[in-house]
Amino acid sequence: MMTKLPNIAFRNIFRNFRRSLLSAVAIAVAAMSIVILFGLLAGMDADMANNLQSYYTGTIRIQHADFEKYERYNPIHLGVDWQSIKTIVNDNNQVRAATTRINFPANMYLGEKSHGAMGFGVDFSSEKDFIDFPSILQAGRLPQQGKNEILIGFALAREMSLGLGDKVTLLTTTATRASNAFTLEIVGIVGFPVAALNANSIWAPIDRIQKFLGMEEQVQQILLLLKDKADEKQIVNQLKNEIESKLGTVTDIRSWRELNKLYGMLKIAKTIYYFIAMFFLILGSTVIINTTMMIIFERMREIGTLSALGMHGSELTKLFLLEGFFISLIGSAVGVIIGYIANYYMGKIGLNFTEAMSGIDIEISSILYPQTSILTTVGVWLYAVVISTLSTFIPSRHAAKIQPVEALRYV
Amino acid sequence: MYKKLPFLSMLLLLLPSLLFALTADEIIGEMDRLSTFETTYLTGSIQTTDRFGTKTSRFNSWSQGKKDSLIEFTSAAERGQKILRTEGSLYLFYPDAEQLIRMQGAALRQSMLGSDISYEDMTEEKTTLDNYEAKLEGEESFKNRDCYVLLLTAKSRSVAYPIQKIWVDKQTFLVWKAEYSTKQGRLLKEMEVLETFNVEDRVLPKQSKIEDKMKKNSFTLMTIDSFEANPQLDKRIFTLENLTW
Repeated sequence: MMTKLPNIAFRNIFRNFRRSLLSAVAIAVAAMSIVILFGLLAGMDADMANNLQSYYTGTIRIQHADFEKYERYNPIHLGVDWQSIKTIVNDNNQVRAATTRINFPANMYLGEKSHGAMGFGVDFSSEKDFIDFPSILQAGRLPQQGKNEILIGFALAREMSLGLGDKVTLLTTTATRASNAFTLEIVGIVGFPVAALNANSIWAPIDRIQKFLGMEEQVQQILLLLKDKADEKQIVNQLKNEIESKLGTVTDIRSWRELNKLYGMLKIAKTIYYFIAMFFLILGSTVIINTTMMIIFERMREIGTLSALGMHGSELTKLFLLEGFFISLIGSAVGVIIGYIANYYMGKIGLNFTEAMSGIDIEISSILYPQTSILTTVGVWLYAVVISTLSTFIPSRHAAKIQPVEALRYV
Repeated sequence: MYKKLPFLSMLLLLLPSLLFALTADEIIGEMDRLSTFETTYLTGSIQTTDRFGTKTSRFNSWSQGKKDSLIEFTSAAERGQKILRTEGSLYLFYPDAEQLIRMQGAALRQSMLGSDISYEDMTEEKTTLDNYEAKLEGEESFKNRDCYVLLLTAKSRSVAYPIQKIWVDKQTFLVWKAEYSTKQGRLLKEMEVLETFNVEDRVLPKQSKIEDKMKKNSFTLMTIDSFEANPQLDKRIFTLENLTW
């Protein structure tokens, strides 16, 4: 009898095919949505991790110990000496690349017009491992070291009606806590994947910014990229100890994970989404619960007959459970396959949120590329099968409790 | 008749002061007149102390009448930077910039060289009554000097401080103390004269302490080292063309 049960259960699916199909579709839609959601989340996660490390903090960021404490006062004078730290960084065999930056808020003047902007003094030659400027250059060329030239985000250029060859004057605070204004020529227009950078950023050679801000050889940030599988925490501690012991300087050295609270929140959000996925599946399973209950009531006479012929309650439960299991199995499989294909397709063309994200200061790209993962897809499939099958257990148990005499009274 | 005697005696006693009492507008007028010269040339320093330490900037300043003034910084960090106020507009010149920066509106309230003094404070026009309604609140002794206490309320929103409370010396018309507030009464800035000097029978502040109440643990001392009243000045000093030279 035990070996026959799966055959009977499978055959029963086709007794009311439309109803079984409805249940399978409900499970499929839920499973597909979860696969797409997880693909989108994985895409956001990878995108944010990449953006944060490339455009903002590197994998490890070194800056003056007090800079963050006084950040709101724009303490340009709290810099670090790159020349003395350089040797320590270069000696560390886990460091893949290093660059230096100076970030400075500025007021940008063009005739009578002015606009707030975020200035970045960068070393374009060492930036290639962090920001691939040539690939995001929309027009013009990169600024040359020693020249008063800048790159400008395309949205800022559009807003200020600026083009190649135009000159802008920037007014900002200096390292002597005074102010200075200087004029730079636009030689390139760039399009970053991050909307905020397009809307307010300007990029100039670091040597010019050091001069205009009176920083001498000081830089504000040293950003590092590590080799694959390098232990971030261990390198942070190593560098901290070495800089302190060899140079006697206390610096603020942290990994990008420590620095970016929003990324940590994304991780928390992912955990929350696992629970949401569970509720989503339970919601989808209500259809299968309903279907099973209807089947039980429909087949009451049949249940009575089977019981009278000696079928145990547990076998009856298994029969209906197996029917639900097969529907879940097929529905989930179809759902995750469609979800996987949808993610694969969207991962190729990208989801464009440029309009929706304009003006939003978040480190996620305007065009998101969902990621596909066989492991996640199989995981969601199993997750969907287990939850949906367990859901059918509730009505299936009811079949076991039906008395044959009572059941046979149903016409 | 005898019953009215005390009242008449009081009236007689108070009559001179009632007849010669100055109105708020007259006090302000006199205050502006005594602090304005046909032309001036002075040198001085701005010493700012804040959470990061103390720094000093030195400057030369020229002024003409009530509305024109030019400041040129001479200390190493800001050498060559100039501020020109003329015809109601304020312009900044920086040697590294190819264009002049015109400051207007709220930007005038920005801190100058990171000090507690704003561009507006530094180049203030001596036309108080054009911008403020003055009300005499009473009299008080400040630093052993008899002072008028006046409340100035802005006539328009174009001024840096909507409310000013000032302590004006009854004899010299020097403003010993000033409190600058928002319309809602929130204290923005406080100024106090620490030292004075005399020029042509006028008393002027030699050293003033300015505290921006929006900043914590910060104050600025502005000191005048040398002062020349009514020197011969080239009128082109206060032109935009001269600024970029």
